[in-house]
Amino acid sequence: MKNSIKVQRAIHNFTQQELADKIGVSRQTINAMEKGKYVPSTALALKLSQLFKISVNDIFELEDGD
Amino acid sequence: MKTNYLFPYRLKKVSGIIFLLSFVVLTLLYFLDGFERFPIKAKVFAIVSDYGILGERKSFGFIEDSVTDEILVVLTIVFGVIFAFSKEKYEDEMVVSVRLNSLAWATTINYGLIMLSYMFIYGMPFLTVMSAIMFSQLLIFIILFRYNIYKLNKAGADEE
Repeated sequence: MKNSIKVQRAIHNFTQQELADKIGVSRQTINAMEKGKYVPSTALALKLSQLFKISVNDIFELEDGD
Repeated sequence: MKTNYLFPYRLKKVSGIIFLLSFVVLTLLYFLDGFERFPIKAKVFAIVSDYGILGERKSFGFIEDSVTDEILVVLTIVFGVIFAFSKEKYEDEMVVSVRLNSLAWATTINYGLIMLSYMFIYGMPFLTVMSAIMFSQLLIFIILFRYNIYKLNKAGADEE
């Protein structure tokens, strides 16, 4: 699964730590998500969507094989 | 992330220390015949036992025994489980997923080891294997989980 968390984070000018604090996870989790190593739960995806004010579909994108 | 099956984080450090100490002492005493050398005699309740004169079998009665090993095993198991299943400093959904992953791998590896030792170790040495099996899954899980958490922290340390 691809995601645009890093881009959105840059647009909103958050550091990984700031974004982590805002959605209640560790900085390691943000890092792993940006690298595509961890796919977040629906609840966390919705929190990101709320924070960035864009839909979940604009943050996450399915890839072949997903 | 709400998880109700984990012990609090503040128990992690102290349980880790007690677990490690009692596990090391238990292992050393086991291989150096220490349970007989440092006996703590006590009357214990036995559901079943075949100690005693002429090795008679007894059920639901009190017997005299050295409880050195019992004390160490109880300490190792209780504090091992608390250490293995206490919350991380920052508990979130990825930690939960890493924990499950490590637990699944530890179970698979442990049963692989049990199967191999059952197939290739015979006689008295198998008794040692049986004793080790009591702790191997917990130990493998702790090592895997700590390593995976360490890897995550390291991978996250250089990025911003």
